Amino acid sequence: MILKGTGGSETEVTWEDQQNINKFGRLNNRFHELEDEIKVAKEAIDNLEDASNELILTDEEVVRFQIGEVFAHVPKEEVETRIEEMKELNSKNLEKLEEEKESVVAQMAELKKILYGKFKDSINLEED
Amino acid sequence: MAAASSSSTESPKTTTERRGIPGAQFVEDVETYLTQTGFDVNSALAFLQERLQQYKLVEMKLLAQQRDLQAKIPDIEKCLDVVATLEAKKGTGEALIADFEVSEGIYSRACIEDNDSVCLWLGANVMLEYSCEEATLLLKKNLENAKASLEVLIADLQFLRDQVTVTQVVSLFYIILHS
Repeated sequence: MILKGTGGSETEVTWEDQQNINKFGRLNNRFHELEDEIKVAKEAIDNLEDASNELILTDEEVVRFQIGEVFAHVPKEEVETRIEEMKELNSKNLEKLEEEKESVVAQMAELKKILYGKFKDSINLEED
Repeated sequence: MAAASSSSTESPKTTTERRGIPGAQFVEDVETYLTQTGFDVNSALAFLQERLQQYKLVEMKLLAQQRDLQAKIPDIEKCLDVVATLEAKKGTGEALIADFEVSEGIYSRACIEDNDSVCLWLGANVMLEYSCEEATLLLKKNLENAKASLEVLIADLQFLRDQVTVTQVVSLFYIILHS
């Protein structure tokens, strides 16, 4: 995001404009962080899916389930329950992240309208 | 560079500083500001450039701290998980069998009998024995502290980025004035 000063334009930047620009910068940063977090959450859910699929296929009664740094021997049903819980947790988390992302995108669009409205070509709010 | 705005009647456009990070002064009318203070464009610009460098350094430091905290938090959560599992096993009377890593790719089996205490690694080559409840309390407290520190850090970074943006914008005013 850059503010290009076109030589002749005398558009004044007020403190309010500055605060809008600051807010836009913050939202943009948050947007990128959210994208990364969403990617991680999606991978986690995929892994859990794979794990529960593997679980259905296996005939072992005791499964080595990772808790912390060790693999504890846990009965299959308990593992199934645990994986379901983890999937629930991750799905809720993903939902929350997606919601936040939508809100951030909406706020950024609003700010873009305001800032482009005032500065037109003198400001660039796009990703390069 | 003292912030002298004797004739301005508007509200202050800068938060002086936050936890050691100097605030950036937003100057709406750079020309008037220069005539008021008697500075010239070049030195004002040089000052702002230097400020930007300082901000960059602080940003790198804060980002490193943020990465550390973000790694620490899942660690603490994993420990809480283990302690919780041990506590759950306590009632049943059966031992917990776990495979742990001895070396890369090599695992060994451990049989963890029913007992009431765990040892927590506190760092600096110190490990203390705690009862399960105490351990859970300590770990939860550490987790809360870490999360609170992370929040403060994120707020610091936001403040910092705002100051960088303001400094960049004001630098631009000077550049436009100068050209």
